[in-house]
Amino acid sequence: MTPRIVAATLVVRTKSFYRERSTLFFTFAFPVILVLVFGTIFTTPEHRTFELPVQDNSRSEASAKLLEGLATIDAFKVVPVPLDTDAKQYAKERKLNLLLVIPSELDAMLKRRFVERDVGASVPLTYIHDPSSTSVNTKIQLLNSIMAAANQAATGAPPMFTLVPESILAERYRFIEFFVPGIIAMAIMTSSLSNALNMNAELRQKGILRKLATTPVTRTDWLVSSILYQLILSVVSTAAILLVSYLVFDVRLHIDLWLPLIVFVAVIAFVGIGMLLTPFAKEAESASAVANAFLFPMMFLSGTFFPVEMMPGFLQTFAKVLPLYYVNESMRASMIFGDNAATLRSVGIAGAFAAVVFVAGTFNTRWADESE
Amino acid sequence: MQDTEPVIVVERLSKRYGDLLAVNDVSFTVNTGEMFAFLGPNGAGKTTTVEIIETIRMPTSGRVTMLGMDVATCKAAIVRRIGVLPQGFSSFDRLTVRESLRYYARVFGCHADIDALMDLTDLRGKADAQFKTLSGGLKQRVGIAAALVNDPEVIFLDEPTTGLDPHARREVWAVLKGLQSRGKTIFLTTHHMEEAELLADTVAIISMGRIVAIDSPTRLTERHSDHLRLTLTSSDAAAFALIQTMGFSPTRAADGSIVVTVKRADDVRSLLDAMDRAGLTVGGLDVRKPNLEEVFLKLTGEQLAQSSKVSAR
Repeated sequence: MTPRIVAATLVVRTKSFYRERSTLFFTFAFPVILVLVFGTIFTTPEHRTFELPVQDNSRSEASAKLLEGLATIDAFKVVPVPLDTDAKQYAKERKLNLLLVIPSELDAMLKRRFVERDVGASVPLTYIHDPSSTSVNTKIQLLNSIMAAANQAATGAPPMFTLVPESILAERYRFIEFFVPGIIAMAIMTSSLSNALNMNAELRQKGILRKLATTPVTRTDWLVSSILYQLILSVVSTAAILLVSYLVFDVRLHIDLWLPLIVFVAVIAFVGIGMLLTPFAKEAESASAVANAFLFPMMFLSGTFFPVEMMPGFLQTFAKVLPLYYVNESMRASMIFGDNAATLRSVGIAGAFAAVVFVAGTFNTRWADESE
Repeated sequence: MQDTEPVIVVERLSKRYGDLLAVNDVSFTVNTGEMFAFLGPNGAGKTTTVEIIETIRMPTSGRVTMLGMDVATCKAAIVRRIGVLPQGFSSFDRLTVRESLRYYARVFGCHADIDALMDLTDLRGKADAQFKTLSGGLKQRVGIAAALVNDPEVIFLDEPTTGLDPHARREVWAVLKGLQSRGKTIFLTTHHMEEAELLADTVAIISMGRIVAIDSPTRLTERHSDHLRLTLTSSDAAAFALIQTMGFSPTRAADGSIVVTVKRADDVRSLLDAMDRAGLTVGGLDVRKPNLEEVFLKLTGEQLAQSSKVSAR
């Protein structure tokens, strides 16, 4: 290895990179935009208010009280639905995914229950909903818990079980704190794997590698400069993601020496995978297809956007053979939980994986020779 | 040529890819200061042979020494002393001409005079243009300049003008002639007959992995030409008959001119003398000896020109 050649090659690649606007965007701006978008969507659900259309067919004192009760909960803002319309048709026409119907017999039923002491008397509150809507479940859950509380209160006795929250974290932990480490890992994976793949395919296709092979540039020089280049990109994109997360969402994350180590391990692992895949991507065009075939399943299965625990069992088992899972785990263990033992365990597994694929990838990449 | 040192010695070189014998028992020598052309159609084994000499590929059998060193074992020492323009040269798209050349100079660890290199290859005006914006001819000239950054003793140019238009091709030739006048040893591969004829001191004709002939372009055409082709026009009808009586077999071309195939240059003289004595007028006259193209066709049975892959990339 010649440091002079490594440095010169690094300069060339860095220059090529910042002069190419599209790669600049996908490497730095894209993960930052993801943080901004997902952070905005998921960080403030506690302050979110849903409109709840209600058709009050009872129009009694009791129904007014019920509506008042719904309105005191921040989550719902009651919107009256005209009485002379068919509620189902109304919801359909207006694309409402949840509509509550208070029956006209509300008053009568309440009287039977509380005045005549008829325990069999109950009030069916119909909710008309669109099961295909993803946000409706949250609203129905809210509605259910309100009704459960109302039912419990109606018995007149204090509740038997109450839930007392106690966090294992010293600080508050929101979705954004979960999300940011995942996005850092995703950004490193995407740029390391696809650069390793694209760069090689492109340089080979263009004959640049053939030219380099007739100069004192060795394969080691080239690999070392590739790794350094990828490290620089990863450090800059990690810094950009963290900066935006701190400025916009005021995230609370532990940044310590684990982070650079995890970044390094991730770069080696994904550059290694990229090199292993090189023989399947001889042309630059097929390279991005091959890269995406690996990137997307990894991204979704390794807990980048949501915790792995949310997936069915067999997918969880599958996730545990993916390197990104361990990178994510180690990022979160160190940045959210500050758990050194857990971080070390995940970094260790990711590091062993990185070493194996990198060495295999090195043997697998041919240096412009014997390729045809 | 006898008093010059051999720079490249190729002895019984073969290269096999699976069932394909790409290079088959090839031997030749290139001397110092020589412009050596490897002439053959695509797939003849030119590039494979050259890449073995350039240390990019390993020979299956045989031995190649360059500047006295074995190419199979002395790669690091050899690459410092040679300059290579690979087939279909390309550089980093987003680098300027100056940056590209500076990179290659740094890689060799030498303080090349980039400006002088750009002057030599007539690239000064494009010094700050990004590589991807250059035309094919300019790109090739960047490649030639990049092959010169280490002031090499031997320069390899693999199909330097393939894919270029005639104007760009002539510009590249001008650069090559300049290099030749500086006493560099140049190894050229081409499938352009004109290029080999115009530039090369020695031409090796390669076909199906074998060298079928090797000599200077003039001697190749002389040795392998067994006829001259004489075309003349005459207003006298007797001319045709007179030529027949001299023992030749003239034919009439479509435009009415007479075409005669003769063995030697002397035959042309005696034929013209006979016509003169008979008082016959001779109008247009054209004597052509076969060119390398015909020699090539005769030696290999293959057509050269039609195999050119102008639009391959």
